[in-house]
Amino acid sequence: MLRRPSIIILAALLTVGLAAPAVAQKPVKIGVLTPLSPPGDSGSGQLILRGAKMGVEELNARGGLLGGRKVELVIEDDSGTPEKGIAGFRKLASQDQVAGVMGQFHSSVMLAAQDLAEQFKIPIFATQASARSITEKHLGYTFRTHVIDPDRVQVWNRWIMERGFKRVFLLAENTDYGTGLVEETKRLFKAMGVRAELDTAIFDRTSVDLTPQLLKIKSWKPDLVLNGAVGTPIYLMIKQAYDVGLFPAVPMLVSYDAPVRPEFWKTVGDKGAYVTFITYYHPTMKLPTRGEAFRKKYLAEFKEDPVYSAFNGYTQVMLIADAVSAAKSEKGEDVVKALLANKFEGWNGTIAFTRGDGPYWQQWTPPMLFVQYTKPEQPYPEVKISFPPEFKTGDWVPAPAR
Amino acid sequence: MDLTLLSQYVLSGLVMGVLYSLMALGITFIYSVMKMINWSMGEFYMIGSYVQYALLATFLGSKRWWLAMPIAMAVVFVLGLVIQRWLLRPMFVGAVERRDEYATIITIAMMLLFRNAAIVLGGPNQYAPADYARPVTIATLPISGNRFVALLATVVLLVAFYLVTKHTWVGQALRGAAQNRVAIQTAGIDVLRLDMLAFGVGVALAAAAGALLAPDFLVYPENGAISTFKGFEIIVIGGLGSVMGSVIGGILLGVIEALGSVFLSAAYKDLYGFVLLIVLLVFRPTGLFGERERTA
Repeated sequence: MLRRPSIIILAALLTVGLAAPAVAQKPVKIGVLTPLSPPGDSGSGQLILRGAKMGVEELNARGGLLGGRKVELVIEDDSGTPEKGIAGFRKLASQDQVAGVMGQFHSSVMLAAQDLAEQFKIPIFATQASARSITEKHLGYTFRTHVIDPDRVQVWNRWIMERGFKRVFLLAENTDYGTGLVEETKRLFKAMGVRAELDTAIFDRTSVDLTPQLLKIKSWKPDLVLNGAVGTPIYLMIKQAYDVGLFPAVPMLVSYDAPVRPEFWKTVGDKGAYVTFITYYHPTMKLPTRGEAFRKKYLAEFKEDPVYSAFNGYTQVMLIADAVSAAKSEKGEDVVKALLANKFEGWNGTIAFTRGDGPYWQQWTPPMLFVQYTKPEQPYPEVKISFPPEFKTGDWVPAPAR
Repeated sequence: MDLTLLSQYVLSGLVMGVLYSLMALGITFIYSVMKMINWSMGEFYMIGSYVQYALLATFLGSKRWWLAMPIAMAVVFVLGLVIQRWLLRPMFVGAVERRDEYATIITIAMMLLFRNAAIVLGGPNQYAPADYARPVTIATLPISGNRFVALLATVVLLVAFYLVTKHTWVGQALRGAAQNRVAIQTAGIDVLRLDMLAFGVGVALAAAAGALLAPDFLVYPENGAISTFKGFEIIVIGGLGSVMGSVIGGILLGVIEALGSVFLSAAYKDLYGFVLLIVLLVFRPTGLFGERERTA
């Protein structure tokens, strides 16, 4: 018969022996909280996820993190709604205990989730959420590697001045992003001395029929329409503006890079020709080592050029991983310290997070490029960059009369 | 105020209203006969739009939308028959004590099932079939050719529905079931078969709306949500169970939304219909064409 101390020692040895491999194999988890179903912009969410998955594959192929631990992606769909975003973040933080959360696309969701990030002390990354207030709140666990609305508006104001537009109408959706665009445009039109008349309207994001507003806009006789929608309403606005005879006679600028996706032509058909939009990446751009390697791998895997959402999704996974390695810890507080103390290689250059004034807090901004489709079904790599001058590869052209 | 512009707003609302009424008609028809609310109506709209898109993108080619639409309706009609037979019939033949709750749970479950099935099968992205027709002008209103086609097809469907329910034996039986389910059984009519037919026809009308509006309002897993929402608003405005109420209610809602969104604010477009609904309920609780139920 074994004595009691022997049993305890044996049990302890067994526990340690069995548990040790399990602890060694516990993965480092990275959360992806992104829109994967409507009403969110699921197209972008899918591309962000694609980039994030490629990042994790690369990390695991290199032997993982923190002495050989595998990296695991935990995916949550926020559907572009704050309530689902909050539920998703809570799960990622409390149940999955992730080292960081990336993939945030909709500003309204990011604004709700970032308060939870602060509470759980887990860094959260805005991947394509651009509302000014996100970084203007100066929260310690919020980071962004995407443009900010005031910068976006400044660039489009410069473009408006360069092209000499005289009557500009901004139709934006009733979200933090849309209302933010309206406020910034009104403010910066005055501040920058834009010599054009501006009118704005906000529409309900769930609306499928924008015809009355577009008729009203047409009667106002603008010479430029700014499309401040996100996801499905972008397409609805383009198609319905075409049907009422507003676009392409009156040029339309889409506020972000939604038209780069393959679904664009499937959805709008020929009506998408002559749409101008802001993008952040173009295949003619010369990229640093990390970005170029990603581009090649993506081309080989998906047989199409990568888009910005995928680049940024990939970059943010690598940022979290690099910060975990630098901190030698997956604890949120340590990861944040490492993010602030180090420089990182992004898809388009070195990323360093500083705590600047206003919205320039823990913020890195990619370039903004104005491109335009000039014929139906035009492949994205063929489009020319018409603005800003330092990136220009071709001229912006007005649409011929219909 | 520019009268041309005003007429454009009114016409645009009118067109939308007629299109809304097709969805409302399906809801009210199913309610009239089966005395249940089908909460998954929007998902049948969505399935109709997907079937239409799939047919045009594969077998039929983009030009044969007129052939794809009845096929989409037929597919959804058969689906409706199957669902009624296996999921809804137990409401009437078994010992289901709480019929309303049963119907609510089943139809909400179907809503979630179909929506998620669409995400799994078609992905969450948007699609749209090629245009059915070139843009046209109705009086003063420049409008998409698709919407014009949808308007004409809706009018045809509404007239056909009216004629069938008014002048055929089946139509009279359905109207009889709508008035008194027990009484028509005493006349030897199989009311459960009528239920199947009513459910199939009701969801096929939703599918027709989905197929007709696919090029304009796009094809994606949640595209039916707004139509269901408007459909329910219309049947309350027009009066539950009234075909005429569905049409007039739809037109009223369409026009009020159009005018509200340009003269007040487009940000609160959904609110205007609700204000109308509340005002109407205060003065006429049964809706415009609804009647108080006569119970023994």
